[in-house]
Amino acid sequence: MTDHLKRGVGGSIRRLIVAMKKSHKFLPRRILVVDDDEELCQLLSQYLTQDGFVIEAVHTGSAGVERTLSGEHAMVVLDVMLPDMRGFEVLRRVRAQSSIPILMLTARGDDQDRILGLQLGADDYLPKPFNPRELSARIEAVLRRAAPDPAEIKPGASEDLIDADLELFSGARVVRRRGQQVDLTAVEFDLLKRFTKSAGLVLSREDMVRAVLGREFSPFDRSMDTHVSNLRKKLGPRPDGSERIKGVRGIVYIYVLSAPARR
Amino acid sequence: MHSFFTKIFLWFWLLIVVVSATVVVSAGAIRSRSSDRERWTQLYSYLVGLRGRHTAQLLDRDGKDAAREYIESLERVDTGNYVNNKNPMRDYLFAQGSREVLQQSVPPYLQEILEKMQQFPEGKPRLFEKQRIAAERIVGLNGQVYTFVMPIPEPPTFDQIYSFITKDIAGEGLIYLGTILIVAGGFCFWLARNITSPINRLRLAARRIAHEHLEARVDRSVLVRRDELAELGQDFNRMAERIDALVHAQRRLLADVSHEIRSPLTRLNLALGLARQRASAESGEYLDRIELEADRLNKLIGQLLMLARVESGVDLEQKNVFDLATLVQGVASDGDFEARGLQCSVEFVHTSEYLVEGAFEMLRAAVENVVRNAVRHTAPGTKVEITIERSESQQDAVIRVRDYGPGALPQDLPLLFCPFYRGSDPARKATAGAGLGLAITERAFQLHSGRVSAANAPGGGLEVRLELPLMAKTQETSKVTLALAPSH
Repeated sequence: MTDHLKRGVGGSIRRLIVAMKKSHKFLPRRILVVDDDEELCQLLSQYLTQDGFVIEAVHTGSAGVERTLSGEHAMVVLDVMLPDMRGFEVLRRVRAQSSIPILMLTARGDDQDRILGLQLGADDYLPKPFNPRELSARIEAVLRRAAPDPAEIKPGASEDLIDADLELFSGARVVRRRGQQVDLTAVEFDLLKRFTKSAGLVLSREDMVRAVLGREFSPFDRSMDTHVSNLRKKLGPRPDGSERIKGVRGIVYIYVLSAPARR
Repeated sequence: MHSFFTKIFLWFWLLIVVVSATVVVSAGAIRSRSSDRERWTQLYSYLVGLRGRHTAQLLDRDGKDAAREYIESLERVDTGNYVNNKNPMRDYLFAQGSREVLQQSVPPYLQEILEKMQQFPEGKPRLFEKQRIAAERIVGLNGQVYTFVMPIPEPPTFDQIYSFITKDIAGEGLIYLGTILIVAGGFCFWLARNITSPINRLRLAARRIAHEHLEARVDRSVLVRRDELAELGQDFNRMAERIDALVHAQRRLLADVSHEIRSPLTRLNLALGLARQRASAESGEYLDRIELEADRLNKLIGQLLMLARVESGVDLEQKNVFDLATLVQGVASDGDFEARGLQCSVEFVHTSEYLVEGAFEMLRAAVENVVRNAVRHTAPGTKVEITIERSESQQDAVIRVRDYGPGALPQDLPLLFCPFYRGSDPARKATAGAGLGLAITERAFQLHSGRVSAANAPGGGLEVRLELPLMAKTQETSKVTLALAPSH
């Protein structure tokens, strides 16, 4: 492997792959549920087993952090309300070391929880009480997004230079700005890819929810706005200070490429 | 001005002025009482001897002219002092045989007195109260006996005192009067302030509590007074604490109950999902029903939690400045998406920016509730129209959301924003939601110092009006079709 490639496969997905290799127990459909409601975990386990998932449940935040970092799971379903620490704290500790997909269970009617969760790097959220079908579908969508497309894992083949100071490596799922790696969640990465594919075109929120989150658009669902807002924050402005992503909040977004400098 | 302060101030001031005036008047009245009149008359029994001896000495030593000059000077002084006396103010000195020694003409009524004095011992004054004459037989330097007669003037009356104040000391009197008014005024001002300022503080605290600032208390300056008002302040504070605790307990209970119901409801949903996987065809109908009811409960709890959150005001801790029109645009676009499924649409046109400061998410949820309500009620094929404009005072942004539905009964209009109020018309209850959406809207706008109201629009349909104060200084920003979305 060349140095270039080593740097290319650095970051989130590499950590995941290393964890996968390290752990013999890793199963692509093994899911960790962190929720202090034991009865709920039992029912959830029964329900999701029917859909072909393997469920492990823990009931405290500290156990949640520990088990998540074991690298044995494909994703985590994390409740916000835990007895020993807030779900956000679990999320923060996990995100410091791992980019494993995480779906947060938040309180319904609490937008701040949703925003905070997505800002801290959760891949999706679902307000409690939820419809179990919806949960199953969200888990599928998150897993699909997180799984690297085999066609794209061709070293060096899918390097795109998308902006003057921004590089995106599809295969390695790595984004660099001025050579510095930017830590993006799976959703943010897919979102950026989607933006770069249609740079300069107006994208409606509906289309983006379908293409990136892999689910039907429902009005008054604000998660896409939060994802875009997070992505914009992580990428920062261009060297000349202009915004990369413009748009009318909650309606349409547009990725604007920098105009070629006049000579 | 009908304020308590003005009343107390004027009343006490008036009281002090009236009391001072009364003291002056009664002083005059006391002097003209009969006992004083006797005392006044007694005074002349001393005076008659004094004047008489002096006159006799002057006569014997220096001659008639000196004595007459003395008597004339006495007359001038007396006439000046007792301007209102009827009797002539003149003293007489008689020698033996009732001859006036100083050659003054003698009024005839004195003869009778002189006769009575003939047998009277020397050196003793005698008063003729009826005639108001004092007389005394005086032994001269050479041993001869004179009779001195003088009139007793009337005691000074109130009129005299009054004229003394107005005429004799007019300038000084005004200064005295002014001093009394100013000193009394200052005292009354202090008194009125002392009584009304704690009342004002109590009133302010009460008003703040009425405006949902439950943490408002009466401040220490009232409590340290150690009087009834301080006790009132303490009682008020205890009452406010109690209300604060009760309201918070109630809100916490609402939030806690909603949270607690959340867990069994989530389990219910899962159990329902499991049951569905193994359900036979005929039980599906009932499972659908259970799911529908569970979904209603979900929505209700979601709104209860939202209301509890809005009422707690935690979101207000993170305020930011944003364009209200962009917020409404986002909600309108979602509303339009939802309305398409019902063969309706949502229309919103705006041209300028309306910068406001507040909790973005809370206000969006508030506007969203109104728009979704309108979408739910507007007739198929119609448009929900949303407008935004500045109020006449230019201080507020006014959002109007108008649907073409059945509207509301006039008696329902003021109650639309009450929790769980779904109107008295049973036909409209069918389309109603959980009944908390508009209550959330009202609380959210109130927390941002805004207002909400509803009215039936001319031509049918309901128009909800939402007002929110604009930022104090709205800079003219260039109009951009694709405005930058504010980041969290």
